Amino acid sequence: MRFSDKFGMAWSSLLKRKLRTMLTILGVMIGVASIVTMMALGEGLKRQSLELIEQYGGLRTVEVREGNNQGGQNQQEGAGASDPTKLKLSDSTIKTIEGIDHVEAVYPVLEFSALIQWGAYKMNIYNGQAWPLEAIREKNWKFAEGDWPRDGDELKFIFGNMAIQDFEDSRGNIVYWNTGKTVDVDLMNDKMFTIFDVEAYNASQNNGSQEGSGAQTNDTSAGQNTATATGTPGQSSGSSGSGASADGGNTTVTPAPKKYVVPTAGVLEGTLDDFYEYSWNVYCDIEALKSMYKKVFKNKPIPGQPVRKNGKPYPELFYSSLNVTVDDIENVEAVQKEIGNLGYQATSNSEWIAQSREQSESQQAMLGGIGAVSLLVAAIGIANTMMMSIYERTKEIGVMKVLGCGLYDIQQLFLIEAGLIGCGGGLTGLGLSCIVCILINRVTEAATAVIPVWMYPVSVVFAIVVSMVAGYAPSKRAMSLSALDAIRNN
Amino acid sequence: MQENVITGEKIYKVYKLGDERVFALNGVSLEVKKGEFVAIVGTSGSGKSTLLNMLAGLDRPTRGEIIIAGRHIERMSEGDLVKFRREHVGFIFQAYDLLPQLDAIENVALPLSFKGVGKRSRRQTAISYLKKVGLDKYMKHRPMQMSGGQQQRVGIARALAVKPEIIFADEPTGNLDTKTTIEVLHLLQDVVHNDGNTLVMVTHDRHLADYADRRIHILDGEIVLED
Repeated sequence: MRFSDKFGMAWSSLLKRKLRTMLTILGVMIGVASIVTMMALGEGLKRQSLELIEQYGGLRTVEVREGNNQGGQNQQEGAGASDPTKLKLSDSTIKTIEGIDHVEAVYPVLEFSALIQWGAYKMNIYNGQAWPLEAIREKNWKFAEGDWPRDGDELKFIFGNMAIQDFEDSRGNIVYWNTGKTVDVDLMNDKMFTIFDVEAYNASQNNGSQEGSGAQTNDTSAGQNTATATGTPGQSSGSSGSGASADGGNTTVTPAPKKYVVPTAGVLEGTLDDFYEYSWNVYCDIEALKSMYKKVFKNKPIPGQPVRKNGKPYPELFYSSLNVTVDDIENVEAVQKEIGNLGYQATSNSEWIAQSREQSESQQAMLGGIGAVSLLVAAIGIANTMMMSIYERTKEIGVMKVLGCGLYDIQQLFLIEAGLIGCGGGLTGLGLSCIVCILINRVTEAATAVIPVWMYPVSVVFAIVVSMVAGYAPSKRAMSLSALDAIRNN
Repeated sequence: MQENVITGEKIYKVYKLGDERVFALNGVSLEVKKGEFVAIVGTSGSGKSTLLNMLAGLDRPTRGEIIIAGRHIERMSEGDLVKFRREHVGFIFQAYDLLPQLDAIENVALPLSFKGVGKRSRRQTAISYLKKVGLDKYMKHRPMQMSGGQQQRVGIARALAVKPEIIFADEPTGNLDTKTTIEVLHLLQDVVHNDGNTLVMVTHDRHLADYADRRIHILDGEIVLED
């Protein structure tokens, strides 16, 4: 018997019992809709938690910091131990890490500190970050004002949406904390001065007014300590510059360091309350910062950079951290481990991701399980409907057998019927769950329920398979009906 | 000498009712030749229907041999029997047993679809046989829209459509009035004598059996008379 003929017969016998067919399909529809909707809710939760992680530093990134010497010593016994720059982050480190499998890109990050002055107000930048331009552009940040600096531009700052809250008044009080208002500065257009040699600036301030405010004293205490212990400029490397110039203690007046006008490239989007990864920070192009450093410090050591034993700077610049992009979220952990094995400190969100994934997967499984119960009920409904249909058609089946309809053809007739019910229920259920998801998302005003793309074909196929499994026993029964008994019972 | 289409050798059918053994068929032997119209006549409970079921491959004998169209069918599996019926046997039922959701053409074409014949060709065949049984005007009618006589004509067309080597009819006029009964019997005679078919009909009515070429009388599971 041709498949098209079997299909046609199955179809016409479903049409013959429209109401019953519709009710059975309705059962499957509700089952499928509840599974799909539940899965969509789970998927929505999962995506939300991944989005949250992304906001806190990305899903595929590993942050690398210089290795600490103690950890490194075991491996660096001998030749390595003599080179204190061995585990620092240099251009050669970038090359090494770029050679690791699954690493897509490695970007250096140079943290900088600076002081911005605007009239009587000033802003301390402690952990400003200088990135290669193409790397920060990849972050897809949106600007409230301005835009990315262009390649080859002079040094320009990009401010996070909350950075403006950092302005202090002349006495060192944070204006926003005290008044609840930000300083009335136009970051884009007002002329602001930037001081890079903050230590020298603080030293000079200290000389000018011994009775400086508490905050300032704190800031400068480190510098003072080194200044008194002249001759051992070991640990606090950056202070050596100011230490030298402030030599002679508090009586000598240190000349204030030069101020520079650094234009603002842009201010990133967000209100004063919207917290993003970038909110509190100031960013700039690493190349532009490097050339600015050359201009500012010439061959003096740059604050934050290591120095040789004789106090002279190294010819190259060491980075504060490296930002490693991994090709796939699955490989983050392996890459992180490998970098760690090199002696560097590598951190990523991988544990967090794994944990949140595990959590959302179990949530999804639970939600799907709840949905599956209703599909199970629907499957029982299908089996029941098919059974009824077979009892009703005992005679018909018998006649068909007498006339020579193959046993497997009969079985397939009923399986096709069950499959058609499943297909109808699957498609309508999918439609229903789409509507439900749209409604949920509209009410919650967020992507609370997301139907993954693979779900569309899978749910329909699943409904068909479940229906056919439910129809299997009845179809077997139809197949084994005795033709003789069937035509006898008039 | 015409060849045998049916050869039955000492067919027994024994049912067990509790401890008692009931011989529904008690060593029946018979032959049906090609192109014959044979009636099996007997009262109800005589075993005539049981015999028909054996010969048609719907039931298996307890003992004995049945050779139909040159093939032993007494030990065939159910799947093989279905295939055998599909290829060699046509059936006419007492209650017509047409499928209610199908029209006349589709009902006649149904057994052809079991054979895997394409839709167009089986419809053509069905139409030609419906014309033959005189239902030119009822091609598109469903069983419910036809009289008993018309339905049985559809049933006959259905049996003929597969070009069987042998046609079995179980009380084909049992549900019809006298006038229609005679019409149908004439049609059956025509089918055998003019088209060269072989027909085995079961009936309890001796008068109807007279339309056949040969009669086999059965009583209590045994052949008592052939004429």
